[in-house]
Amino acid sequence: MSITINIWINEERYEKLQKAGLASMAEEALAGLKVIKVPCTEEQKDKVLKVFPTAKYDSATTRSIELLPREVKDKIFDLVVEKQSMDVMEDFLKNY
Amino acid sequence: MTYIGHGGKEIVERVLEPEKAAEAIKGLTPVPIRGQIAREIIDIAYGFFTPLEGFMTRADVEGVCNEMKLANGVLWPIPIVFDISTEEINEKGIKEGDKLLLTYQDKPMAILEVEEIFTYDKQEMAQKVYGTTEDKHPGVARTYNYKDKFIGGKITLVNPPKINPPFDEFFFTPKQLRQKFAEKGWQRIVAHQTRNVPHTGHEWLMKGAWLSTHGELPVEKTLTGVLVNAIIGEKRKGDYIDEAIVLCHDVLRKAGYFREDVHLTSITLWDMRYAGPKEAVFHAILRSNLGLTHHMFGRDHAGVGTYYDPYDAHRIFDQIPEGALNIKPIRVLAWWYCPICGEVTYSGLCGHKEHSQNFSGTLIRSIIQDGVKPPRLIFRPEVFDLIMECAEKYGFGSAFVTDRYLKERNPVFSLPDMKY
Ligand SMILES: [Zn+2]
Repeated sequence: MSITINIWINEERYEKLQKAGLASMAEEALAGLKVIKVPCTEEQKDKVLKVFPTAKYDSATTRSIELLPREVKDKIFDLVVEKQSMDVMEDFLKNY
Repeated sequence: MTYIGHGGKEIVERVLEPEKAAEAIKGLTPVPIRGQIAREIIDIAYGFFTPLEGFMTRADVEGVCNEMKLANGVLWPIPIVFDISTEEINEKGIKEGDKLLLTYQDKPMAILEVEEIFTYDKQEMAQKVYGTTEDKHPGVARTYNYKDKFIGGKITLVNPPKINPPFDEFFFTPKQLRQKFAEKGWQRIVAHQTRNVPHTGHEWLMKGAWLSTHGELPVEKTLTGVLVNAIIGEKRKGDYIDEAIVLCHDVLRKAGYFREDVHLTSITLWDMRYAGPKEAVFHAILRSNLGLTHHMFGRDHAGVGTYYDPYDAHRIFDQIPEGALNIKPIRVLAWWYCPICGEVTYSGLCGHKEHSQNFSGTLIRSIIQDGVKPPRLIFRPEVFDLIMECAEKYGFGSAFVTDRYLKERNPVFSLPDMKY
């Protein structure tokens, strides 16, 4: 199981994902709310945790990076849509 | 109007009139207290803790720890104690028979009659009440943090607190609440205990509990109500902020998810002990004093970590002798979302367990944290918008308690200035 950042996909975001051709990446989470799991390498994870000190890595259960600031997740989502790809973390971290 | 509370004892308000209060506190030794004690004084003084008239004596604590009973034989599961250091006792020359002036926020608050000064083995207290001596358990940690001596004795409030907005419209004393129920014509009232903002899983827990409670009563008039009773006490980082909990529950009615005549939001001041089954009994006692007839208990009520089985808090009610408790438990399983049923449904009814989607706490918090408006089947839009609004207005941008909130939040209540 790889390290991920989970991004919630509501209806509004789902439309954007569809336009980017990535709708199939969205998994069902709860009652129609979906989630995409943006992959991170070990190094990218370390950098994310360093740049955003509020974030926590849940190594035990979900292997996901939690408690990232909302704006950061919004940016990552926008980048996914813009690049029409899930592999955005390298690009994203360039700015930090 | 009858005001008979827990243990068949009358609910008595231990509050002095202002003129008498100023006179009564003259010359008393002042003893500053912390938030927990201040909240418990309010609870004692207005009868939330009936039949307690003050902090427990050693005989009461012993009875509570060993037999879940007060010294007078009334069912009681959690010690309510006033702790103080030997140092302070010596410094102030406090002795049995004295009256102390308890102060909070640098204002006079209450008189404590020193009936007994005693010690108690805190490890034993922890083991008996919480079933563990591990200080990782927050109730045990609270017990260990008590100072080395205890004072048992009656409390009299001399300076009634002013409850600050937005909490003021949700604070009712047991007498006020009983009057309110009478005005509404409710014969049965079921409690929903909460420290959460309500998602639809909670909403359905309440609706299910209402149906169970209403039972065989006629339907032409509203004879049954739901009382949301939010526990307001010491906050920990990561908890939901109090303002969001209370206001979001209330908006469920304002937005029509509950009819105006079946739902009421209220608060009780209490620092959670996370005592699982014992705390469930305590909550039942508390709500029976508020005049409720039924109390809903879900999965892992007042539990923490893996100290209690998720349904220990249901089973404990089987051991309580007939007549010891004047409120009925409504025991429920969780509600979940089922994509086959296409709705939020009761796990005790839906046969699609393998497809079910749970309202996990982690998932819900993550949704709120990210502010991505979820489908109305998870959060009612009015509730979600209000969570976001409360985060801005009260939470310094967060719906969850932060260091800043702990430091700078507006207090839930303030003590007025008092001349004496
Ligand atoms: Zn189903």
